[in-house]
Amino acid sequence: MKRKKVGYYFNESGKYAILAFFAIWTIVPLFIVISNSFKREMDIFSLPFKLFFRPTLDNYRRAFVTGEFNKYFLNSLIVALTSSLFSVGFGVLAAYGFTSFRLRSTKFLNALLVLGKSLPAITILLPLFVILSKLRLLGGYFGPIITHTSINLPFVIWLLIGFINDTPRDLLSAAQIDGCSKMRAFRLVLLPILTPAISSAVILSLQYSWNEFMFALMLTNIDTYTLPAAISKFVGSISVDWGKSSAAATVTMLPIVVAGFFAQKYLVRGMTLGAVKG
Amino acid sequence: MTGYLLLSPAFLIILLVMIVPLLFGLVFSLFDFQFGSGGGLGAFIGLRNYLGFFRNSSGLQSLKVTFMFTAIALTGELGMGLLIASLLMRVPANLGSLLRTIFCIPMLISPIVVGLIWRYVYDPTYGVVYGLLRAVGLKSLFGGLSTPGWALVCVAFADIWETTPFMILVITAGLACVPPELYEAADIDGAGRTRKFVSITIPMLNKVLAVVILVRGGDAFRVFDIIYVLTAGGPANSTLSLSIYAFKEGFVKYQMGYAMAVSLITLAILAGLFGPLTKISTNPEQLR
Repeated sequence: MKRKKVGYYFNESGKYAILAFFAIWTIVPLFIVISNSFKREMDIFSLPFKLFFRPTLDNYRRAFVTGEFNKYFLNSLIVALTSSLFSVGFGVLAAYGFTSFRLRSTKFLNALLVLGKSLPAITILLPLFVILSKLRLLGGYFGPIITHTSINLPFVIWLLIGFINDTPRDLLSAAQIDGCSKMRAFRLVLLPILTPAISSAVILSLQYSWNEFMFALMLTNIDTYTLPAAISKFVGSISVDWGKSSAAATVTMLPIVVAGFFAQKYLVRGMTLGAVKG
Repeated sequence: MTGYLLLSPAFLIILLVMIVPLLFGLVFSLFDFQFGSGGGLGAFIGLRNYLGFFRNSSGLQSLKVTFMFTAIALTGELGMGLLIASLLMRVPANLGSLLRTIFCIPMLISPIVVGLIWRYVYDPTYGVVYGLLRAVGLKSLFGGLSTPGWALVCVAFADIWETTPFMILVITAGLACVPPELYEAADIDGAGRTRKFVSITIPMLNKVLAVVILVRGGDAFRVFDIIYVLTAGGPANSTLSLSIYAFKEGFVKYQMGYAMAVSLITLAILAGLFGPLTKISTNPEQLR
């Protein structure tokens, strides 16, 4: 009995040791970039790593006041909000179409969604770049918005279909017996019930679009870069301006981490729904 | 009719943004298409772009790198995810949800920012990794991002940092669905921890594991962002993934036809590797 107890305690502390190590592994890189963003150059380039230093906002000033990152922030916002609006809006309509009407080509259409979901971004980007350049549609917001919308659509549709299939059918039938048309029943009955699923779709669409890089880099130009594209241009140069790029990186991750924190429930549900259900 | 009307905006976009470019890519890949040369499509060369890939040393290297990256990243994040998720089940609920919130942060961050962060972490002069190794006198063993043997491992670790949270979340949700009676019954039969893990947890997580391997494995195989920022494929092509290779051939060398062939080879391998798993996963069957 005694031996077992010793083993138990060892496991107990081992468990917390592993979790503590993992917490450190998660936090340290974040801490480094955030603290660098408040450091002066001489503090960034001092050894060993400085835990205590006189904080400065100079890096933020150089990135967002005298630099151009405020513009890129606005670009990110425009692209993320517009593409999420489209993907969720059209996704809701399509999910309702799939679940409430007897369609014959469901299997084929779903195969298209699976194909769209599994295409490597580069497979789409190369020909799309050629097509858009012939149509003179490169360089604006058009490219990132349509690609982000399209890439989010399959997932949004599946998420909502899963949710609609879970809501009691009687609710919709009852509304229809009461004289509602299918579309009215959709608006008055289903849409309010779908709010949590729509929230999941919104936060995940925003997260994808805010963070996406390849399309945002290649289909835009120096005036319409989103934050990730702009940051990559910084890091690509030979000597990295760590102070400025740390400030830009911090501002890039802040909104989506905060949004993710407040919408954690929806985020987790959206991410796990497809994997765990069924 | 209304049904199809509801579907039309979504499918019109998917058709125009994904399917049409895919078909164009298939056609372009059969030509010696050099973009920007002004000469149009170039000569029709049949499958020579595809055959060329398998005779090209950089091409074969990118194939090898992609498989290695996928194997390292997937093993790492799956192992870590399983470990952390099962440990989180055994701590008090409050602490568990607090830790889960913290652990989730990296997953929300853009891979470009993750790459920037790890560039600094791996910096030979100021980075933490070298700092720690210097402190214990092992610095000379580690090559960082600038030696071919180490660069891929470094890049994979940065990727593991970013994607383990997803594994933790999904596996946690899967573990929560395992009926506790199974473990109780195993306790009565005197099963140990390892035994319970192998005989109950893994089989019960079967489907969840299939889905995460499908999702994350597919992502790892298509890896682009994090390599682009950390090493851009170097040193000496040691981190040249298929996506990076296709990108460079297309946008740096303007060999668009060849680049599209490479990207389609990527798609074909992806389908071959992970296609069988889609049968186990759930999504398609959710349609009535």
